[in-house]
Amino acid sequence: MERVVITGLGAISALGLGADKNFEQAFAGQSGIDYLNLSINRKIEHCVAAQIKFQLPEMVKRAELSLFDRFAMLGWIAASEALRQSGISQESTLLENSGVFWGTGIGGAQTLENSYVDLFIEGKNQVRPLSIIAGMNNSPAAQIAMKCGFGGTVNTYSSACVSSAQAIGEAYRHIRHGYANRILAGGSEAQLTFGIVSAWESMRVLAKARPAQPEQSCRPFAANRTGLVLGEAGAAVMLESLSSAQERGATILAELAGYGSSNDATHMTNPNPAGQARAMEMALTTAGLSRSDIAYINAHGAGTPAGDLTETDSIKRVFGYHANNLMISSTKSVHGHALGAAAALEFVLTVQALRSGSIPPTAFLTEPDPMCDLDYVPVQGRSNQPITAAMSNSFAFGGSNAALIVTKFR
Amino acid sequence: MTTFETTAKLLAERLEVDINTVQPETELQSLGADSLSIMELIFDLEEEFKISLGDERPSLVTVQDIVNHIDKYIKLAAEKTA
Repeated sequence: MERVVITGLGAISALGLGADKNFEQAFAGQSGIDYLNLSINRKIEHCVAAQIKFQLPEMVKRAELSLFDRFAMLGWIAASEALRQSGISQESTLLENSGVFWGTGIGGAQTLENSYVDLFIEGKNQVRPLSIIAGMNNSPAAQIAMKCGFGGTVNTYSSACVSSAQAIGEAYRHIRHGYANRILAGGSEAQLTFGIVSAWESMRVLAKARPAQPEQSCRPFAANRTGLVLGEAGAAVMLESLSSAQERGATILAELAGYGSSNDATHMTNPNPAGQARAMEMALTTAGLSRSDIAYINAHGAGTPAGDLTETDSIKRVFGYHANNLMISSTKSVHGHALGAAAALEFVLTVQALRSGSIPPTAFLTEPDPMCDLDYVPVQGRSNQPITAAMSNSFAFGGSNAALIVTKFR
Repeated sequence: MTTFETTAKLLAERLEVDINTVQPETELQSLGADSLSIMELIFDLEEEFKISLGDERPSLVTVQDIVNHIDKYIKLAAEKTA
């Protein structure tokens, strides 16, 4: 079976533009969270979000803009960065053995909402003609494939918070088994619309804003955690078979060594430690690693009372005594929960942590929860950590779990 | 503004071309328009002139074809209100 390597990274989130910028901010514990601004003249009281408030770079012609919902634009921004770093030419002829595997949870939320505003508020009797193709879940994958000339398999995964972990993981399987030489994999989400945020709010899972320090509202693994903070992002990795990368003399950043997926099959929202453990164990098995090889876990760590406790439990189940040696951090404390883009963004950060030996912290973890008793790298990042393998966990509503393992390339 | 002037203005903005290159006989394809961008343009023109083109799907090759198509419905709308 082919080995799968990473030759490009891309990211955009409330932390900034570019994979390096995102990692610098995450490592420094600089939060991108603040009060939410909605695009329409409505307000959700006390709602914070990891919202991208800077101007997006102009990536497409004006004529194409109506084809791009914000989630597709975030996707293309991240994907084009990963493509650029990989050195694969955008102008090359159609690449049959190249594909795009993309994740999104909600899809074209803004496009859908705009249509409803037109129909129900403005009283119009028609909506913009490209609403379907801009809003459909596979829109980013299709745009990325077109722009890169990737004519192989192009798939979209939509499994809430694990969408882009499944996209990356299934791409790994696809390359491993020889169905493709290279796949641009990742995810994007732009869910911060009035309708979607209100729906989250109704579930009573969102963190309460800290009035004096809104940027510190997401506190995974802390005793005073109150829930998750929604975010928006795009993140991508260029995955290649080792033979393809070596053939074209590409710079190999790291190896995607393992992937595991599972479903709790127990409850729509209550997390289950056995289900989570199955995903982590499968990832270890496919990577051919022992538990003690893993030094760092980028946790799912959404900041919900039940979720963080369950993840602590599942990590202990899988790693046994070694769980106490692990460095575990939730970077959601600074970039929020970008749903379908979350796993890809966290995987990009995990790859950078592995490469640099710098572990980003769980920011603002000043009041530990006695029930969450592992090393969550509180407040301060750690440099000069000699790590050779790291795991990134993602768990979702609907019971889906996924774990990705990245190792130094040797 | 006449139908042509409005059409030319919207085309130039949307396709990022010099408005002087948009002439009645100019082929839409030569401006970089495709079926999707024409669909968007028609929608904007419907809103601009407050008309509804219904489900008719004519072949639109030149800028003048669009102008004729829009003018037909402007006339129909005027007749209806008269």
